Amino acid sequence: MSSEHLDRQLLEELEEVMEGEFATLIDTFIRDSAERIAALQKALASRDAEAVRRAAHSFKGSCRNLGAIRLADLCQGMEHQSAQGQLNGQENTLVDIQQEFSQVKLLLQALV
Amino acid sequence: MAITSHLTADGSTLNIVIDGRFDFSAHQAFRAAYETLPDRPEHYCIDLEGTTYLDSSALGMLLLLRDHAGGDRADIEIVNCTDDVRKVLTISNFDQLFAIRPH
Amino acid sequence: MASLTILVADDTPTDRLILERIVRAEGHRVVCAGDGVEAVTLFEREQPDLVLLDVLMPEQDGFDAARQIKAIAGERLVPIIFLTSLTDTESLVRCLEAGGDDFLSKPYNRVVIQAKIRAFNRMRHMHATMLSQRDEIAHHNEHLLQEQAVAKQVFDNIAHSGCLGASNIRYFLSSLAAFNGDVLVAGMRPNGNMMVLLGDFTGHGLPAAIGGIPLASTFYGMVYKGFSMTDILREINAKLNTILPVGIFCCATMVDISFRKQRIKVWNGGLPESFIFRRSTQQIEAVQSIHLPLGVLKSKAFKDDCLVYELASDDRFYMWSDGIHEARNSDGEMYGEERLRDVFRANDDPEQLFNSILGNVQSFVGEEEKHDDLSLVEIRMEPPQLPTETAGAPVRTLQTPSRTGEWAMSFEVQSRSFRSFDPLPLVLNVLAEVPGLRSHSNTLYGILAELYSNALEHGVLKLDSTLKNTAEGFADYYEQRDQRLDDVDEGFIRIHVCHTGQGEGGKLRIRVEDSGSGFDAQPPRQVPNVRAYHGRGLALVERMCDAVHYLGKGNQVEAVYTWNHDDD
Repeated sequence: MSSEHLDRQLLEELEEVMEGEFATLIDTFIRDSAERIAALQKALASRDAEAVRRAAHSFKGSCRNLGAIRLADLCQGMEHQSAQGQLNGQENTLVDIQQEFSQVKLLLQALV
Repeated sequence: MAITSHLTADGSTLNIVIDGRFDFSAHQAFRAAYETLPDRPEHYCIDLEGTTYLDSSALGMLLLLRDHAGGDRADIEIVNCTDDVRKVLTISNFDQLFAIRPH
Repeated sequence: MASLTILVADDTPTDRLILERIVRAEGHRVVCAGDGVEAVTLFEREQPDLVLLDVLMPEQDGFDAARQIKAIAGERLVPIIFLTSLTDTESLVRCLEAGGDDFLSKPYNRVVIQAKIRAFNRMRHMHATMLSQRDEIAHHNEHLLQEQAVAKQVFDNIAHSGCLGASNIRYFLSSLAAFNGDVLVAGMRPNGNMMVLLGDFTGHGLPAAIGGIPLASTFYGMVYKGFSMTDILREINAKLNTILPVGIFCCATMVDISFRKQRIKVWNGGLPESFIFRRSTQQIEAVQSIHLPLGVLKSKAFKDDCLVYELASDDRFYMWSDGIHEARNSDGEMYGEERLRDVFRANDDPEQLFNSILGNVQSFVGEEEKHDDLSLVEIRMEPPQLPTETAGAPVRTLQTPSRTGEWAMSFEVQSRSFRSFDPLPLVLNVLAEVPGLRSHSNTLYGILAELYSNALEHGVLKLDSTLKNTAEGFADYYEQRDQRLDDVDEGFIRIHVCHTGQGEGGKLRIRVEDSGSGFDAQPPRQVPNVRAYHGRGLALVERMCDAVHYLGKGNQVEAVYTWNHDDD
């Protein structure tokens, strides 16, 4: 089941690249992601589609880099919707993102 | 200045060719050209084609040759002289003493 | 690969961390920025070699940062790789427009990043090499242009010192004619004739220009002194033959125009046929090249015969280099001689001929083309008005004897020089500079030589000419002469030459004075016996001159020689 959340091969390579700093990377990602989810929330609340798009785009990037595939896909969906000015129903996507992040967080913490 | 001379095969004529300036500096070479011969040739031919200039001492040398060759009996012709050389010879009346043939 | 400094600008901490690791693992130094403003600041401070730039950043986005970074970098190549997951074409175009060189999408791949860094580093090196080579070429080019400017200045100073501005001459030469090998010189002779020479050296550039300088200086040096056209052509030919490498020579047409006699002498060696346009008949007469170009033949083989034409007032002479005949239009077709003749046929106002020819050639080749290779000269048979600054001799020319007609020189040879120094060639060289006197060189040499020998042998060396009465004595005399020359330690010989102009010619007084005690017998001397070996020198001088005077105590002899300028 977990293989749907994370790209294991990418993470193995990343662990190799980061050498001793893999734990720091995971830790940084978790803290940064919490901030980005908060930013998404705030942007949605203010109905600012461009702000939502940008926040979703940025978060998507770091998710891809950490192999959080599903989380990245959710961000991309939100990015596309808001790019077309579509904010309706995005609250549900945000809930999906929050739930997915909780999963990813646990899985990542288990790696270190 | 350069002086060259040669006898014809039969020994009858001595040709002397003078190149450049014919002046006092030529006197030894000029004299040597005819004095060193064992026999006196019958004819002398002085070729002045390459002679650019001829001075009064050269005239003296020509006379020395003439006397050596028998004076009034001498048979000497001067050939191929340029206008300037010819003028000097004429001024000095050398046409009375030598057979002068221009170009 | 040498270690680079690489700027990473990304607002996402995890992305920065990963990039930093990957880049550092390759051995490079990394500087990190969290937004666009910081990126530009760090770029200025750290002068990185490569920039990895996120597009969406707070404060200032990647597009603006890229533009600023490119502006700061100037002509230095600093590759910018955009870090983006943007996939729409519009965003990618914006990246490129902002100065981006490449893209890197997430998730980052170590191998791809390393490959891109290496590729851009190679490009950076090529760019740096290209810049330094460009600078070097620019430097060389600037240097070359400077040298050409100096060469052109020298060339113009020499070539244009004549009377090209005269009212009866019209000419067209491109500003770079010298470097096409074309040279045009014109000067007035003391007798009022005008001489013009148009030359076309083989080749292009400096090698073609360089021969023009001796040509022009010889031309002017001789024209003003009144030398004849054949003398001048011979001299130029000899000079060019000596100094130019085989294969470089000068096709030329030279004319000597007598306005008084309304006659023109033409020598054409290798240039296209010149035209004489007669006003009365409106016909042209072609003057063909019948000689080899200047500089090809040795002096002995050089042919100087000229063609002579009688002209009427306002008849015109045209000469040109092959640039007109060989001018090509856009189809590569050559202008050729027939078109040139057509211009003359179609013309009804001779005054317009010059412009018609130029205009016709111009419209043939097309307005866009430059006429770097075209030289055309028109000379009218009409006494010229000369612009004041170019009238007569060039300013820097010495006051030559020919301009004044009156001059004198003195020359003294002292005892220690008798053995080694012969003053006659020197004196004769001076005399040969007088217009018209050169053809008298041999006679003048004869006079000088006799007077000098006389002064040296009798006055200074005190030799007795009666020694020469016999053949042995004759030899003895010259042996003594040789000996005394070695021993002599006193005495002098002075040569005074004094010239006054007289109509077309002049009068020359040559006085030779020695330190001796003079003649025993006062002149007039007897004309010697034709058979005597000596005593003929002064008699010869008397016959070659107009008069011979014996002055002082007999230690001075003056010969008077008058001459006429028989060369036109």
